[in-house]
Amino acid sequence: MKLRNFPRPFIPLFALICRLTLAIIFFYAGVEKILHPQEFAVAIYNYQLLPDCVINLLAIFLPWLEVLIAASLVIGINTRGVSLLSALLFLIFATALTINLVRGLDISCGCFGASSGNISWFYLARDLSLFCMSVFVLIYDRGWRYFFA
Amino acid sequence: MTQNNLSPKLYPTFREGSIILAVALFIAVVFNLIRPAGINMFGFSSAALIKEQQAKIPEISLWEAYSLYLKNKVIFIDARDPLSFAYGHITGAINIYPDDAAFYSAKLRIKADQGFIFITYCDGPQCPLSKETAHVLLLRGIPNVKILVNGWILWLKAGYPIAKGKK
Repeated sequence: MKLRNFPRPFIPLFALICRLTLAIIFFYAGVEKILHPQEFAVAIYNYQLLPDCVINLLAIFLPWLEVLIAASLVIGINTRGVSLLSALLFLIFATALTINLVRGLDISCGCFGASSGNISWFYLARDLSLFCMSVFVLIYDRGWRYFFA
Repeated sequence: MTQNNLSPKLYPTFREGSIILAVALFIAVVFNLIRPAGINMFGFSSAALIKEQQAKIPEISLWEAYSLYLKNKVIFIDARDPLSFAYGHITGAINIYPDDAAFYSAKLRIKADQGFIFITYCDGPQCPLSKETAHVLLLRGIPNVKILVNGWILWLKAGYPIAKGKK
């Protein structure tokens, strides 16, 4: 196996870094929530945006989606679809955060399971940065093959 | 023309995303069904949650706790950190820090069915750990959870049996 096109050009390399960063974040967030689904369900409820009947289902489903997104991003399969999902997720999180920040609710973010801090504008900025990284990966990622011959 | 150029790229992207969504849903549902700490998929009740949060977890006196201990009807739950637990704890107690309480719910439910009472304790009258562990256990549907406020100090001063070590 040979390294090629490394470290140039810059854009695919940056997309690779973004992809791996997103994967680490999704993996950590997903595992924390898988370990404590009940606490995550309460965190979702605290956002006051969803009816009771879907809260537990989302608390079960979302962490696994995050872990699968992380796995796909690391391996480099379905990267376009996964980065699109990632961008949509961060957009949804950012919307939910904004609504509750405007409402003035002082609730746990739930971003990384039950032990996350309370919501703030910093979390919104972080979500939007991650959204931008996802879009960057969606457009510019070239996969592992670009770097390894 | 633009649509013709975009659709060959967009369609596989949506298809890839849909595959991941479907696989995640499948794994999530199956995993939740087989894990002991699984939750009811459609069973979230905000009314029950509010009721539980408002419910005051009953406290128990040292003497009552000791009588139950002598009758072997109680499981003490030490909510302190593992180091403090290893340094000394009530004989027979298990160490359940609030963050880990959810993992023990399946085991404790079996014990609850056998008629055991659970008493959580930590160190000091203001210590929140025993309340937090008790609260998580109640949220998980474990009945008969009580708190021995300032439990470790009271137990130690009374000269009741203690043990050292990780178990």
